[in-house]
Amino acid sequence: MAALQEKKTCAQRMEEFRHYCWNPDTGQMLGRTLSRWVWISLYYVAFYVVMSGLFALCIYVLMSTIDPYTPDYQDQLKSPGVTLRPDVYGEKGLEVSYNVSDNSSWAGLTRTLHAFLAGYSPAAQEDNINCTSERYFFQEGFGAPNHTKFSCKFTADMLRNCSGLVDPDFGFEEGKPCFIIKMNRIVKFLPSNGSAPRVDCAFLVSTDAPPKDVEPLQVEYSPPNGTFSLHYFPYYGKKAQPHYTNPLVAAKFLNVPKNTEVTIVCKIIAEYVTFDNPHDPYEGKVEFKLKIQK
Amino acid sequence: MRQKTLEIYSVELNGTKDIEKTDEGDGKEKKYRGLKNKGPDPKKQHQKEEFKKELDLDDHKLSHKELERKYGTDIVTGLSSSRAAELLVRDGPNALTPPKQTPEIIKFLRQMVGGFSILLWIGAVLCYIAYGILYSNDSSSSLDNVYLGSVLILVVILTGIFAYYQEAKSTNIMSSFSKMIPQQAIVIRDSEKKIIPAEQLVVGDIVEVKGGDQIPADIRVLFSQGCKVDNSCLTGESEPQSRSSEFTHENPLETKNICFYSTTCLEGTVTGMVISTGDRTVIGRIASLALGVGNEKTPIAIEIEHFVHIVAGVAVTIGVIFFIIAVCMQYYIIDAIIFLISIIVANVPEGLLATVTVTLSLTAKRMAKKNCLVKNLEAVETLGSTSIICSDKTGTLTQNRMTVAHLWFDSQIFVADTSEDHSNQAFDQSSQTWASLSKIITLCNRAEFKPGQESVPIMKKVVVGDASETALLKFSEVILGDVMEIRKRNRKVAEIPFNSTNKFQLSIHETEDPSDRRFLMVMKGAPERILEKCSSIMINGQEQPLDAGTAKAFHTAYMELGGLGERVLGFCHLYLPTDKFPETYSFDTDAMNFPTSNLCFVGLLSMIDPPRSTVPDAVTKCRSAGIKVIMVTGDHPITAKAIAKSVGIISANSETVEDIASRLNIAVEQVNKWDAKAAVVTGQELKDMSPEQLDQLLASYPEIVFARTSPQQKLIIVEGCQRQDAVVAVTGDGVNDSPALKKADIGIAMGIAGSDAAKNAADMVLLDDNFASIVTGVEEGRLIFDNLKKTIAYTLTKNIAELCPFLIYIIAGLPLPIGTITLLFIDLGTDIIPSVALAYEKAESDIMNRKPRHKKRDRLVNMPLAVYSYLHIGLMQALGAFLVYFTVYAQQGFLPLALINLRVEWEKDYVNDLEDSYGQEWTRYQRRHLEWAGYTAFFVGILVQQIADLIIRKTRRNSIFQQGLFRNKVIWVGIFSQIVVGLLVCYGLGSVTALSFAVLRAQYWFVAVPHAILIWVYDEGRKLFIRLYPGSWWDKNMYY
Repeated sequence: MAALQEKKTCAQRMEEFRHYCWNPDTGQMLGRTLSRWVWISLYYVAFYVVMSGLFALCIYVLMSTIDPYTPDYQDQLKSPGVTLRPDVYGEKGLEVSYNVSDNSSWAGLTRTLHAFLAGYSPAAQEDNINCTSERYFFQEGFGAPNHTKFSCKFTADMLRNCSGLVDPDFGFEEGKPCFIIKMNRIVKFLPSNGSAPRVDCAFLVSTDAPPKDVEPLQVEYSPPNGTFSLHYFPYYGKKAQPHYTNPLVAAKFLNVPKNTEVTIVCKIIAEYVTFDNPHDPYEGKVEFKLKIQK
Repeated sequence: MRQKTLEIYSVELNGTKDIEKTDEGDGKEKKYRGLKNKGPDPKKQHQKEEFKKELDLDDHKLSHKELERKYGTDIVTGLSSSRAAELLVRDGPNALTPPKQTPEIIKFLRQMVGGFSILLWIGAVLCYIAYGILYSNDSSSSLDNVYLGSVLILVVILTGIFAYYQEAKSTNIMSSFSKMIPQQAIVIRDSEKKIIPAEQLVVGDIVEVKGGDQIPADIRVLFSQGCKVDNSCLTGESEPQSRSSEFTHENPLETKNICFYSTTCLEGTVTGMVISTGDRTVIGRIASLALGVGNEKTPIAIEIEHFVHIVAGVAVTIGVIFFIIAVCMQYYIIDAIIFLISIIVANVPEGLLATVTVTLSLTAKRMAKKNCLVKNLEAVETLGSTSIICSDKTGTLTQNRMTVAHLWFDSQIFVADTSEDHSNQAFDQSSQTWASLSKIITLCNRAEFKPGQESVPIMKKVVVGDASETALLKFSEVILGDVMEIRKRNRKVAEIPFNSTNKFQLSIHETEDPSDRRFLMVMKGAPERILEKCSSIMINGQEQPLDAGTAKAFHTAYMELGGLGERVLGFCHLYLPTDKFPETYSFDTDAMNFPTSNLCFVGLLSMIDPPRSTVPDAVTKCRSAGIKVIMVTGDHPITAKAIAKSVGIISANSETVEDIASRLNIAVEQVNKWDAKAAVVTGQELKDMSPEQLDQLLASYPEIVFARTSPQQKLIIVEGCQRQDAVVAVTGDGVNDSPALKKADIGIAMGIAGSDAAKNAADMVLLDDNFASIVTGVEEGRLIFDNLKKTIAYTLTKNIAELCPFLIYIIAGLPLPIGTITLLFIDLGTDIIPSVALAYEKAESDIMNRKPRHKKRDRLVNMPLAVYSYLHIGLMQALGAFLVYFTVYAQQGFLPLALINLRVEWEKDYVNDLEDSYGQEWTRYQRRHLEWAGYTAFFVGILVQQIADLIIRKTRRNSIFQQGLFRNKVIWVGIFSQIVVGLLVCYGLGSVTALSFAVLRAQYWFVAVPHAILIWVYDEGRKLFIRLYPGSWWDKNMYY
């Protein structure tokens, strides 16, 4: 196969390439004449227009089968996640650490809380109704204006000492900081059969270290008992309840030891909320490290 | 290369003298054609020197005494055992060194870095680098990159091992050939005759060889008795050559007193002294030279390389472009690197090379069943692209045995049956002349059946004797019955065997009729010599005087039979009168005390090596397949032409220049060369041709026969054909064919007649030596090329569907639609068996009715194939798969529009309340789980559409319904396996975190079905337009 072994020089290759790019004999550019290029481009344009049209049609059909109020499946959302404010992430999850005597070390934290609670100001909650019933607030129809459903008010003042209204420092300065715990929204999720879900925070007892004689964590929950009132459930989705705000629970830790890092876990206690998924650290509970320096 | 080729020519054509000539100056070099000028390589120079030195063989000139002195031996007592042992240690065993094997580890490593492996290695290294960078920033970073890197390395190693295993397996097929039955030799040592393995022979040994044995080493003949050797495996001369102790020629290759290693002693006995052993023998040197002729890359290897370049080029280009885009879009460098890896992995069809190997080996197996044993897997396809076959005559086109073809007696020509079993001898046997003729045929014949073959059919019995006598013996045995019994009844009293000076053979017999006391003298020989001795001729059993009219009839018949390329023998007899030759008369063959003239001429008989019955058909097939069949033979031009005509290599209505000249009765020079379609070229003419003239010859005549060529000229012919850009297949059996076999694009050795050296040099072995098997091979080779095209098109298509997710991910910021590891499950899991299944697809149209592919123009992977796979079907697949992906996300809460630019938030580990379209909030883990469901959905989307892709790839031109949807059952096995693997992966591996699969709801399997159907419909449309408008714009752009 002698012919195939011929090594072309670089100049030859360049020449061939140039000839390929523009062939003056046949008027071909890149192997096609201009009119051929136009034809093939037209074909591709048409082909892609049709294909995009078909795809758009498919998406349209898909959208038309989707219920705008309720998702078809909630395979991943069996149990709500739990988040914490202020949320400062270190290498391994939430890590909050500040110095009581150093204003600047916690100013950011309180700023986060203030910003977060801005959504719970009476002005922001204006469109929501006051609810007093301690039962689920089922709504079959769309009684609210604009074909929506009512949402219950949750205002910052319900967090009492942790509302930022009484104590704009949220207790950080005195070493008894407030943390706000929020349960994720899931459409039509009912956390329990009758009793309100409640937050329970405690030091995380590591299983391998021998339990030391540590004083149990003292927490001041707000609203009292750390419950999420049942009238905030079920959630009917963004379209039905455009003004819905998650109920919150604030936990004020009263006896956090100073100058040591402690791990605190806040769980949601409710029949249908699980917190033992080994893969998901934020399902039904939130864990964080806290270090208060003095 | 130049040097080596020179050596081959020199040694074969002119012996030592030629080498000296070429040393004298470069002027002579023009004579050697097809040679490229490379600077002298010191190593080759050295080799050449050495070779020259060795060829200065002067043993044939020495006397016995000088020989004894030179080799320290004794002609009568032989070597002493101790001396022999010493020499054995010094020179090594008397065997050819097997060709040097590439070390296994090198072969293995070559598999590890060849093809796409290098890209995957780069990908793996980048993965580890990426992890390293991440780790140095944050020791808790995820292990995803480590998994991916490890998986990539695993993939490379597994495919490497697989390819290595396949190669090793195919090499093993051949190794069985090298196992020869150990040869024995009779040697005189310590004054005793001993039988030792031929391997232990040393220089100076005195050996005895008898008829039927192979010459165990190069020997100088000391004594011989009627010895003839068959040198055809060395020089290609098919005529037996006599050997005696006289020094007859300066050239060691020509002289009569040297017998060469591996040639066969046909008859007689010879005693000789071993003058060289093992690799130092002439044949050993040729065999080792053959290894020097470069093994060319097979066409399919070139095609696959071309394909790898295309795909790797696309992968790297897209990868780099998007790397730059990613950097410009202010992604982190580390992310950009990961995109790069993913794009490369998506673009590389990891499983394809393994698939190609399997496909080829499946075909190799199928061909082995049809008697083509393929040594080199890639040769399977080479055979399909063959455009010229240079075929041997003897044994390949013909049955390789002389057979009686015509008889002439009673002034009439009779045709004998030349078919393989001779069963149907239809000529008139009632004439008295036939009775006399048959008696002569039977009696004037020295050939005998070897004993102990009673149950063997006559035509298959082994005979001691030369080819013509064998033919006559078998002919008479078939017609008359037990020849040996007839001979016994007609006792032989005297005999003169055939020799080249007499050109006749005679024997004198008692007659079987007890009342007839006369002796019968029977004679056969060259017809003109026999006729000279005759004064009468037998017509219808009556002796008539030989007049001018009958003589003319004889000449006409003789010329006619000779013109058919047949070997003609004349037969005559004489009843010796009892008065002069009484029963007691003692005949003396030396004194010739009996008459050898005024005999009675009985008849002529002509013999030919008849063509195999399957060959004409095969040649026709080749012709319709656009393959030129060239006959290259050492035989006489007339015989060659006759056989060529009878098998159709020269078709019935085409003429050579000579034919035209004789028809028009003008001189050959006056004939317009372009009128002739066929040409018969002799070796002598070939020698005087310049390469340009040869090129012209090859290009201008569609039908060519090379006759009287030395096998070395085969190499010149092969090179000439290759200059025409042809893919050349060469058949050969002798050792001297091995350079041509190596040089050819595909060397085909004969399994039965072939020497080991030829088999070694060849890429393919024809187990039945039958030309027709080559044609079957061509068909398979073409089919495999078509099917490989389909396989590659099938495999390439999904690359776009695999690539698009990453591009969209980078540009539109969707959550990643498919993971890199998931891709590998498609490439190496679900797609493997279906792509192999395409190898079982039947030919679409009659593949033997189109031209062989042009090795430079008709590429395996051409532009339309890549464009159609990537930009049409690939794109449709991508859209279908995206639809499944969007469906899954939408039904779980993320509507398509919400997904755009969600990527950054989506991937943040600390965002655990990401809102979806319904206002629901998702933790990172919940999102990741959904992402896996998305991967699985995309995977299923591709899988479902790959089923459609598989079905459309069954044909390239015909409609699927023309081809038959269910004809290839293996396709359905493939589809079934695809689905089963898909189900296993989706529902079985959901719990293995590193593999990122999630259990998927059953209905998502059907979302892409409309797209799959669309693909099928679109492709049917494409094929329809191709069939409707051949040669149109559509055909050119859409047919791959």
